[in-house]
Amino acid sequence: MTTTYKLPVGPLHVALEEPMYFKIDVQGETIAGLDITAGHVHRGIEYLTMNRNFIQNITLLERVCSLCSNSHPTTFCMALEQIAGIDIPPRAEFLRVIADETKRVSSNLFNVAILAHIVGFDTLFMHVMETREIMQDVKETIFGNRMDLAANCIGGVRFDLDTERKSYLGAQIDRVIPLVGKIHKLYLTDRTILSRARGVGVLSKSDALELALVGPVARGSGVEYDVRKKAPYAAYDQLDFEVVTGSDGDVWSRALVRIQEAEVALDLLRQCLQKMPEGPICASLLPEVPAGEAIAKSEAPRGELIYYLRTNGSDRPARLKWRVPSYMNWSALPLMMKGNKIGDIPMIVNSIDPCISCTER
Amino acid sequence: MWQLVLLKNLLKGPATEAFPFGEATTPAAYRGRVAFDPSACTACRTCQYVCAAGAIHFEERPDGLRFTLWHNSCVFCGMCQHYCVAKAIHLTTDWHLSHEQARKYEMVEEGWVPFRPCLQCGELMLPATPPLMRLAYRGDSKEIEALRHLCPKCRQTRAAGRNS
Repeated sequence: MTTTYKLPVGPLHVALEEPMYFKIDVQGETIAGLDITAGHVHRGIEYLTMNRNFIQNITLLERVCSLCSNSHPTTFCMALEQIAGIDIPPRAEFLRVIADETKRVSSNLFNVAILAHIVGFDTLFMHVMETREIMQDVKETIFGNRMDLAANCIGGVRFDLDTERKSYLGAQIDRVIPLVGKIHKLYLTDRTILSRARGVGVLSKSDALELALVGPVARGSGVEYDVRKKAPYAAYDQLDFEVVTGSDGDVWSRALVRIQEAEVALDLLRQCLQKMPEGPICASLLPEVPAGEAIAKSEAPRGELIYYLRTNGSDRPARLKWRVPSYMNWSALPLMMKGNKIGDIPMIVNSIDPCISCTER
Repeated sequence: MWQLVLLKNLLKGPATEAFPFGEATTPAAYRGRVAFDPSACTACRTCQYVCAAGAIHFEERPDGLRFTLWHNSCVFCGMCQHYCVAKAIHLTTDWHLSHEQARKYEMVEEGWVPFRPCLQCGELMLPATPPLMRLAYRGDSKEIEALRHLCPKCRQTRAAGRNS
């Protein structure tokens, strides 16, 4: 006889050390249903932004989340520039792509590393983290910090690549590409990874569309949606790349999409270095922002990030709201988990690469 | 396949830096401890305006301005450096910021920006720095240097006298 009971998971330490509380209905070892309780790290940042000027907010928004820290200020600046009618210089467009894609490589590698850690394959975890460390060094060398790049300002960017830094970045990309290629092959063929990730947490394409999922979670189920392609911003319309999709919709598929996207990101970085024009990096130092409203969106490492900004002619936002990719992707968990075993819970939670500090800001 | 990786790692040794027993690499762009140069500051207070953490404070006294930056509030975003036209503030590569709890109030960067008397009327004022004067007048001359030491009122009088 199987008994039905509720299993509390969290609020701490399910996959990543971030708080989210799950109440899971279990029949024996099998998951029957899921209830999510959020709100443990709510910090009221939307309100805080209304009490700070635009420039202070660039710094504040960079600290909404650590892994997609560059996507927040970039998208916020895009909204501001839309209202102020600023066209950022062509070189700045490429530099914004460089900042974003550098973060994407690190973020995606981090997630697949954690997958190996959950499996218990810590050798692979360390190996992927060691590869990621090269990108961390790139961030520190070019931007001055391992996580918060401080790359953006209203009207452009705050960093530039001279010949020396360009060749440094190029050399590091050349170092990382073969290593990521090897990681890709490992995740494709390794018995341990396959036995734990394949066929686990399956989500169909129709369900992904129904729930309006975004990012690698949607693309892992075959939904070909990428803001960089659908609504190109910065320099993405001048770069050559394909949207990566998976077909199985399981944990393995999503991990592979992330690895392939890291490879695409590295290729984009290389293209940027070749195609980047010379010129100014910032349009104006302290522009006036008139009253108005704007929506800006970008493809963060976890998916589509949308910013809504309303201004009233002062130097502070009248309202600022953002919808983060993880917010949409949480709703996939009940469908993914149903029918899987208790031991798969961390694998499935990690596979949506949830960002809790983003969701709850 | 991973056995190969393991073997390679065993041969290569640790991938991490040996700090504190060895040197830790610090790139030139690293954003660390903030340094303030009072001789270049014109007290426009833009750094204070853009500081998200509220780490920068100017205290106005009869004979000058006291600049204070709390490193324990600072988030090292570098906005102050980016917006400082006078180039009076910049982030150094010094990341040695750990300290005892008892020393927390000493983790500050301070500077004294004194007022100077106007060469004509003697009223206390803050002279513009030479780089700023070059920026404003697009050049450098003895006349411009002389204007620098006059208060706005005396500067006006002088300019009006020269034109008439």
